[in-house]
Amino acid sequence: MSAGHTLAHDWFPRAIPDNVVIGDRSWLYSAYAFLHYRSRRPCGVRIGHDSGIYHGSFFELGSDGEVEIGHYCSIVGAVISTNRRVVIGDYSLIAHEVVLADADAAVPGGRGTGPGIELGRNCWVGMRAVLLAGVRVGEGAVVGAAAVVREDVPPYAIVAGNPARVVGAVRRPGVHTGGGA
Amino acid sequence: MDAADVTGDWDYRTLPANVRIGEGCYLERRGSFGRFRSSRDPGLTLGRSVQVYTWTTFNVEPSGAVEVGDGSVLVGAVFMCAGDITLGRRVTVSYCVTIADSDFHPLDPELRTRDAVANAPEGDRSTRPPLEVRPIHIEDDVWIGIGAIVLKGVRIGRGARVEAGAVVTRDVAVGATIAGNPARVVDRGVSP
Repeated sequence: MSAGHTLAHDWFPRAIPDNVVIGDRSWLYSAYAFLHYRSRRPCGVRIGHDSGIYHGSFFELGSDGEVEIGHYCSIVGAVISTNRRVVIGDYSLIAHEVVLADADAAVPGGRGTGPGIELGRNCWVGMRAVLLAGVRVGEGAVVGAAAVVREDVPPYAIVAGNPARVVGAVRRPGVHTGGGA
Repeated sequence: MDAADVTGDWDYRTLPANVRIGEGCYLERRGSFGRFRSSRDPGLTLGRSVQVYTWTTFNVEPSGAVEVGDGSVLVGAVFMCAGDITLGRRVTVSYCVTIADSDFHPLDPELRTRDAVANAPEGDRSTRPPLEVRPIHIEDDVWIGIGAIVLKGVRIGRGARVEAGAVVTRDVAVGATIAGNPARVVDRGVSP
């Protein structure tokens, strides 16, 4: 898919903004995702290859906002409301009604001034979770449904609750638990 | 779908006569008003320069009325209203917020059975048990964070901050910051 064009399957009669790059075999549900998009960065949104951005996702970027989504990501329904930089690592999964925002009371156009948000590779964010300014989620971590994340999440941790706390851990790649063959 | 219906370019004069819109309002999505069925007059009042974004919905029962003051921004405010909900001036309501002035069903199990029968697709809704409805008042300059829920009978004082994900079940003092479920004061703010 190339930027500056309309999507063949789209119902919404606007072009994808020129400063958006969508990788090979990736899917974007509609240019409606850019309803409130105001980014003037050289590249406002970059989506890697083989990633899906599905119905209910919105890029609510202010003029300085930037989003980078990796390869093989599934963004089921994330609202990204930022005037800073948000990075989502390869293989990450974000469920529906998730909000990543600069501020608690964020509004479209990203007037917030907080630091950005960074998710490492292979993160899983549960439905209705909220990730706020400055949060870094480590590789392989899991954010539980409806968690409100204000502090960094260590790699391979499971966090849940409001405010989110570490409640467990997932197995690190290459580390095997005993008992198996 | 007609794009004008989701980009604020539809004809606001097509709203019901009991909806009063101030000058300079931006009403992004026509469907925000699709479940507005107040029989009061006015049933919805928006002050001057109120911005209503796509995720907001006014679910207003015949007995309900909502009032929003000048300069307020409603991003994703889902109103569930059977009585009175008022927002002051310059109130910000962020994404995925619900404001409900009733539980909309009785707590008592036997009454709830009657309610279920009355609410069936071909049921007689006039036989529903009465709802408990208590007004919500949100004063000037309040911020309501992402995913918060504000429940019946609550008054949120001027300049208060409701943090993301808070579930507000009790009054909030002027200038206070509250967070959590149920919401607790995390900062009392400056005394007035």
